[in-house]
Parts: sequence; structure tokens; C-alpha cells
Amino acid sequence: MVEASLAPLIHPLPATEYANETELLAACHRREIRAFEQVYMAHGARLKSIAWQILGNRSDAEDAVQETFLKFYRGIEGFHGQASIGTWLCRILINASYDAARKRKREVESGTEEPPASKNQLPLRVALDDALRRIHPRHRMVFLLFEVEGFRHAEIAAILEVPEGTSKAWLFEAKKELKRMLTETRR
Amino acid sequence: MILECSDLERALRTPELMPDIRAHAEQCTACREQLYLWSEISRLAPGLHQEWESPFLWQRIQANLAAEPVRRGSGLRPQWWRWALAATGTVVLAAAMLQPMWQTRRSAKPADRELLTESALQEVQQAEKAYARSIEKLSAVATQKLESSSLPVAAAYREKLTLLDAEIAELNAAVDSNRYNTYLRMELAALYRQKQQTLQEWLNNANHNH
Repeated sequence: MVEASLAPLIHPLPATEYANETELLAACHRREIRAFEQVYMAHGARLKSIAWQILGNRSDAEDAVQETFLKFYRGIEGFHGQASIGTWLCRILINASYDAARKRKREVESGTEEPPASKNQLPLRVALDDALRRIHPRHRMVFLLFEVEGFRHAEIAAILEVPEGTSKAWLFEAKKELKRMLTETRR
Repeated sequence: MILECSDLERALRTPELMPDIRAHAEQCTACREQLYLWSEISRLAPGLHQEWESPFLWQRIQANLAAEPVRRGSGLRPQWWRWALAATGTVVLAAAMLQPMWQTRRSAKPADRELLTESALQEVQQAEKAYARSIEKLSAVATQKLESSSLPVAAAYREKLTLLDAEIAELNAAVDSNRYNTYLRMELAALYRQKQQTLQEWLNNANHNH
């Protein structure tokens, strides 16, 4: 009886694919590294971009993503799919990035690495990038998540732990601030 | 509805008013400029997404995860041990329920109770041994590749496997001195399971990189 139920365990585990997020999460709970790799493949690029927006350089952004996965791995027991994995990771990442930014600010006061300037960048695109660094951090974060990274308001609400209406209001404020700054730039 | 410049912000908040404010903007340069900027902000925003290659980032993360200390009792229990535990529990329960009957028959068949418990334990032990043997086979294949590998993650896997082996040896000794302790047996099974996963992950990783 017991030996019969043992059989599936002795066979090799499936290679990498997990059909859906439930299966993927179950594999993460079993701490299968392949599952974490699949999570990285699905969300890594977006996480790097968000971290870059907060930290301003690639090296620190990658460190923040690494820290995020470590925290995700360590805390997986407390995560039971109450939000999507992407949302959960994003929340960890934002906290990790702000922690890193604070730590770095304490260590050395230095300017951020500018994004590689493309020769064909439009002036308005550059002005927007610049203005975005100067608006209220909360508004900026909602703008980045919604307009730049494509999250929905419901997801942003879960990430930032605010009501969905607040996410919408902050987005509006962000755009209003940006519009005002861009108007001044064009004068 | 006829809107004026002062209605611009209200219109931007209210999608239903957008056609009316656009109609106003056709005659008003300032509002036209504001509407243009409003839409340009959303149009240009996706271009702020940053994308670059990080060929070693996953390897770094993987090495970190592999080096995480073994957590006894963490994660989900292997399914078969739930069955094993349930089977053992059933045996114990049955034994408790049948105890009065055995007591009346004890004079006739004194060895029945011990035989029943012992046979259940033997069944579990046989399953454990078979499982441990299958993992050792896997270990033989994986260790060979692990020892000869120069991949950065190999050291982390070696370290994790050494830790697991030490914990398994420690628990095996504890189980030997307390054969009926199901909790210890479950812990041991969880460790074997972790070892199996670690070996398979390493093999997958090695196959990917060669």
C-alpha cells in the first residue's frame, strides 16, 4: 500500500513547465528551483525595469531583483496566492529597492546613472523622463506601474496596499503634475 | 455640452466629457496644447520601460537560493508520507479499538498485537529503504557531474548536499533509536525529498549548461 503510493515520488520530477499559476505556486512551496526560474523568466524583466526606475542604475536594480527572489523564496510559506505572484514580487521589489536607495543615500550622496541616451530621442520624451523624477514619489510610482509597466489599477492597489480609487487618483495627480512641468518646459 | 478652458481638468477626470472638451480645443490653442501633452504623456510612457540583458543574474539568484539553509519541516510534505502517516495512524487506531478483544484472547494468541504493529512498521521501513536507494542512485549520477563541474553554482549545490547529508545522517541515527516515532520519520522523508529535488535541479542545470 505504502510502496504503491511511493512510486510517483521516485520518478523524476517534470522538467520545467507548470501549466498554471496554482501549479507554479505549489512547486515554489516545494522549493523547486525550476519553479523559481520560471517565475524569474516571467517577471524578471519587468522587475528589473521597476527597480531601475527607483534606483537609477542597472547594477543596483539587479541586486534588488536578486534580493527580491531571496525574500520571495524565504517567505514563500506565507504566500498562498492571495495576490498574483507578479503582484507579490513587485511589492517585495519596491520595498527592497527603497531600502537599497535609503542605504545608498546614507553611504554616499551621488547622482543617478542616466539612462543611455538615444540619438533619436524626442525632446518631449527626455523632458518627461526628467519631470517624472521630480513629481511626488507616490504619484510617480503609480504612474510607473500603470503607464510604463502596464499594471492594472487593481494590481497596483494590491502592490501598494491602497484602495483602487486611490491608485486612480494618484495616477491623475501624476499626469497633472507632469503636464504642468512639460508645459513649463515648452515655454 | 459647451465647455470652456476652466472645465479642462474636470473633463480630463471624466471620460464622458472628453468629446466636448476636444470640441472646445479646436477653437482654443491653450487647451489644444494641454490635451496634446496629456495624451503624449501616456503615449510616451511605455518608452520609459528599461530593458537590458542580464546573462548572469539568474545564475546569481539560483546560487543564492541553492545556498539557502535547509529548513527542516518547511514546505509541503511529500504526498506518500501523508499516506504512510495515515496508514500508521489507522493501524494505531485499529489497535486501540481492538485492544479489549485482544486482551480476552491474549492467553490464546499472545503474539498477535506485536505482530500487527511490527508488520506496519516493516512496511514503512521497506518503503523508506526503497526510496533512499533510488535517491542514492540519482546521487551517484549527479555527484559525478558535480565534482567535475566548474559552474559557479556547483559549489552552492555541493554545500547544500553536504548539509542535507549531515542532517539525514543525524536523523537516521535518531530514527534508529526511536523506531516508532512517526514525526522523525516524516522529517527524514522531507529531507530525502529535498535531496532528491536538489540533485534533480543540479542535473537539469548541468544539462542546460553543457
